[in-house]
Amino acid sequence: MASTLSEWKSKPVTVLTCDGRLISGHLRGYDQLQNLVLQKSYETVYSVDAPPERIDLGLFVVRGDNVAVIADGEIGRAGGGGGEESDDDGVRAEPIKEIAGNR
Amino acid sequence: MTLVGKEIAVELKNDVVLTGTLHSVDQYLNIKLTTVQVVNQERYPQLTVLKNCFIRGSVVRYVQINPGDVNTELLQDATRKENSPAVGGTVSEAKK
Repeated sequence: MASTLSEWKSKPVTVLTCDGRLISGHLRGYDQLQNLVLQKSYETVYSVDAPPERIDLGLFVVRGDNVAVIADGEIGRAGGGGGEESDDDGVRAEPIKEIAGNR
Repeated sequence: MTLVGKEIAVELKNDVVLTGTLHSVDQYLNIKLTTVQVVNQERYPQLTVLKNCFIRGSVVRYVQINPGDVNTELLQDATRKENSPAVGGTVSEAKK
């Protein structure tokens, strides 16, 4: 029943943060506050007039307060272990809004 | 609890709506969804790759449930049991 992140430990995950960024990486650690340690992490920046841009971030600690959604799979690689089409070079998107009232 | 395995829609505080099968919930209303789909895929194409996700309870605005999935009888029974003096916490404490 408990909604733990144990099944994603040391697997690739993508995190949507409260400011609307998408950060992917290997989940190396977490706690009950959803503080996360991501290894080999990178941010994928989407824009309306250019292909997605990948920015390497290295080892990243995300404080739990700033986490909105954690999904399995990395952007630009096989998502969700589904092994389906993951080439998102053509994806154009407006930025995702930040979480209201998070400050 | 009785809604596990049912299809629900979760609206986040940034107006994103995710639908999916409810996998689990905890006391903070952290929600785990499987077979996730984002509503309004044209606006959020970057989120269409999500399959399984964990949603932090603090970012949830609404959880939309199909009325047919709610077992009202079970809920009513549970409230009755909770409020009945025979099994109420205070009475059993007094007996001790």
